[in-house]
Amino acid sequence: MDLSLNSALLAMRRGTSRPMSRDKADTLLLLVSCGLVIAPHTAHLPIWTSIQCAALLLWRGWLTFRGLRMPPKWLLLSVSVIALGTTYLSFHRFFGREPGVAMVILLLGLKLLEMHAKRDLFVVVLVSFFVMLTNFFYSQSMGTAFVMVLALIATLTTQLSFQYTGAVPPFAMRLRMGAMILGLAVPLSLVLFVLFPRIEGPLWSIPGDGASGRTGLSDHMSPGSITDLAQSDDIAFRVKFIDPIPPQTKLYWRALIFDTYDGHTWTHSDDQHPQIGRPDLSVRGDPVRYQVTQEPTGQRWLFALDLPHSLPALQGNPATFSKDMQTMALRPINDRVRYDFASYPDYTLQANQSRNSLLQWLQLPINSNPKARAFANQLRAQSSDNAALADNLLQYFHGQHFSYTLQPPLLGDDAIDEFLFSTQAGFCEHYAGAFVFLMRAMGVPARVVTGYQGGEVNPVDGYMEVRQSDAHAWAEIWLEQRGWVRYDPTAAVAPERIQRNLVSVIPRTTLGGLITLHSGKESLLSKLRFNWEAVNNAWNQWVLNYSPEKQRGFLQSLGLKNVDWENMIELMVIIGAGVVGIMSLPLMINRQKKDPLQNVYLSLCQVMARAGYPREKYEGPRDYRLRLIADNTKLTPTRKNAIDRFLRLYESLRYADLQVQQSKSGFTQLKSLLSECK
Amino acid sequence: MFAAVKKRYVNIRNKWLYQLRDAEPGEVFLKQRRVFIMPSAAGLAFGGTLVVLFIAAANYSLSLGFVLTFLITSCGVVDMHLTFRNMAHLYLTAGQAHPVFAGEEAQFELHLINRYKYNRYAICLGFYAEDLPNLEQAADIGANATCTVNLHVTSKRRGWLTAPRVRLQTRFPLGLLRSWAYWMPDAKALIYPYPEEYSPPLPMSGSDELDGQGQAGQEDFAGVRAYQAGDSMKHLAWRQIARVDVAEGGALVTKHFEGGTKSELCLDFAQLPRTMDVEMRLSRMARWVLEAEQQGLPYSFKLGGQEFATALGPAHQNACLRALALYEGH
Repeated sequence: MDLSLNSALLAMRRGTSRPMSRDKADTLLLLVSCGLVIAPHTAHLPIWTSIQCAALLLWRGWLTFRGLRMPPKWLLLSVSVIALGTTYLSFHRFFGREPGVAMVILLLGLKLLEMHAKRDLFVVVLVSFFVMLTNFFYSQSMGTAFVMVLALIATLTTQLSFQYTGAVPPFAMRLRMGAMILGLAVPLSLVLFVLFPRIEGPLWSIPGDGASGRTGLSDHMSPGSITDLAQSDDIAFRVKFIDPIPPQTKLYWRALIFDTYDGHTWTHSDDQHPQIGRPDLSVRGDPVRYQVTQEPTGQRWLFALDLPHSLPALQGNPATFSKDMQTMALRPINDRVRYDFASYPDYTLQANQSRNSLLQWLQLPINSNPKARAFANQLRAQSSDNAALADNLLQYFHGQHFSYTLQPPLLGDDAIDEFLFSTQAGFCEHYAGAFVFLMRAMGVPARVVTGYQGGEVNPVDGYMEVRQSDAHAWAEIWLEQRGWVRYDPTAAVAPERIQRNLVSVIPRTTLGGLITLHSGKESLLSKLRFNWEAVNNAWNQWVLNYSPEKQRGFLQSLGLKNVDWENMIELMVIIGAGVVGIMSLPLMINRQKKDPLQNVYLSLCQVMARAGYPREKYEGPRDYRLRLIADNTKLTPTRKNAIDRFLRLYESLRYADLQVQQSKSGFTQLKSLLSECK
Repeated sequence: MFAAVKKRYVNIRNKWLYQLRDAEPGEVFLKQRRVFIMPSAAGLAFGGTLVVLFIAAANYSLSLGFVLTFLITSCGVVDMHLTFRNMAHLYLTAGQAHPVFAGEEAQFELHLINRYKYNRYAICLGFYAEDLPNLEQAADIGANATCTVNLHVTSKRRGWLTAPRVRLQTRFPLGLLRSWAYWMPDAKALIYPYPEEYSPPLPMSGSDELDGQGQAGQEDFAGVRAYQAGDSMKHLAWRQIARVDVAEGGALVTKHFEGGTKSELCLDFAQLPRTMDVEMRLSRMARWVLEAEQQGLPYSFKLGGQEFATALGPAHQNACLRALALYEGH
């Protein structure tokens, strides 16, 4: 009894200490690398999909670890159906990017449970590559890139682990080899990255992409909506000016008009039907003609400089003006589009309006913000001229201690009151909202306009780039004879914002604003921050924004003017071939490695051949020696003696037992004998 | 006409493109020109994936997507380099091949020598001929090491069997490419005739009927004599040998028997009926040689012009079988 128990324990212990079988180890490695590939996706996947993936991986791991059989087909099929069902429940659709990504990831997990042949490994690896790529829909930060490199090394290590047929080196060595492959791949991929002609995306759009996950203006304005945009460096649209570019302070890109305020959010009421034909607009001076290349927004509005005179032509998606001069396309903009506008900076919009038609622009929520209303009445008493009232208000914003910040304090129910009299800190939407509220409270028709302000001319291609961070909100008030006139209260608070751009007013903070570093310029922290910003900026500039234009610009800076894609491919092939050539140079040289001992022997044979005694092909060293010694015509006795000793030594070195063969002294002696033979 | 063109094309392809050569004596060096490389099926799928990745990256303007695509592409190129390196610059020599009987597997010993500082893994060797099943054996060759692989081929007829062409191939490390090389080893195996299965008994000469089992010549122990090469192991006088240690001057001795003269065993090809097929006759001779050796009956052997005096033992047997294998008369 005791004995059998002991032996069982022993067997168990042996069982645990025994190295895992190769198949098991390889499969577990594959699971780990798949886990690494999937892990970053959990940040955005629906929780159920993440749980399913983890369950599939663990299931496979358990089967492998215990050496159990793969699940039968019917079970796999029902699991797939469940996976498909939960994906649909999470997204309410099958098509589109997000459900697509979720399904590819689930597919990867399911494929692991259906692996039978070596071929299936490649399927898993190739799907893994694709899953890695889809993660970039959500994040392209340096951290993501780092995780990608780790996952890639793991995948390569797994792939090569499966290729061994006999001896398998330890894991560390395989890992090193995987990393080495990736390391060797870096120079060539750098060449490809820099020189591969970039194609301007998108090539097509997947249905349902439009609305989700895009940054851009929204169809309402509440505190924070533009602040969020200000963090994004994405390009909203690019503009190519045909006429000279107007000054920065005139660059108001108009998109949306808001008329309704509910105490928290500005929206536009539903009766803003598109109007056929041109609104009542008179223009003066020269037009500014330009071409806008707009990134997809998933929304209908277009961007025009204040104030466009004629409608742009969009293919298959006609645009109209609404009566308050919003330019709307018929359908959402889901692709990058290009359209032409001609705007007149000097204009009069709807100068003749009946009092009734202006009532819409005086709406205010009842019984809210009493302090603001009282303040408005106070201002109203000062002047009867609406324009003067507006100027006074701007003066007020300018004079008081209002500050312009991306991190405004939260506001309560009477948001305008709190903003005006207690927090006094906000972003453009706060100022525009408060301004319009006060003007309305004074009985002046006013409205909020959102869009973009400013833009930066790219010196490389001359395009003006307008980014999400240029998003802005301002106000328009209606004045007798003059119509709708633009007032920008933000300009009163932070003039630099309008004259230059946002970054000049509010420096970026790190880690999502958790750490604001206000120490002096010379401090270590701030130096670190500047460095980090520089690295981040370089990453953004050189990796993330390496667009076709940037590529052309970079090549131009290298002195390559007018490079078209054909030149680029030529250049890429030449430099790429160079890199590959350097890498494979050792393989190109067909130098046979000879045994050093044989080399010495062969040189003696050469010496003898020159002396007129070539070694015959059938002759071994001994026969050769005997023939040479027997010769009495040309060779002197001393030379013959040397040859004799050389060949005897060679014979013993070559054919005697290992100890003699490996002696270094014998070899050096042989070499010295060779010189005697000459 | 067409056949001639095709033949010429195949010839050019084999000689020039595939560098198929006849057996080369000595060490064969797999220089770069002799090693070929093409994507495997997995490699083609890999290429397809790259295209998909590129399109996805371009469509969504994913810069990191481009980085990933190009990195993976370059990994493929590095894999090409490594797969080629795994095969190229290998040294090959053929070892010995032991004689076998027709129908048995002839074994060829092949040596792969790696004179480089890196290990080579998963090199598969197999005979490459149309009529041979493609059975491959995998080998790993350490840095500065030699690896021996035994490949076998079923022998069909007697005579010399030259080693068929060998194909070496490898997909290591990533399996995306297949690198291969052809090599005709300079090796041949001697194939003895197939020993007839149900042959008549040994043709004991002398008209008199012999008594017993034909062990006559072995029965009368007549003392011991010094060992001679070719003496059967069965007849070594182990007791005598054990008395004196070989290291101290002891020698192998063989038991000497007398009385074998009574029944002379002569295996003479010419004695077999001429109506029999030559191969059948050779086959029967081979069986008799084996039979005689097994029974320990010394025998003389006559085949065409070749004659071997009465003897016994492996050397004698091998000489006889060799003569049978290489017989060219009728």
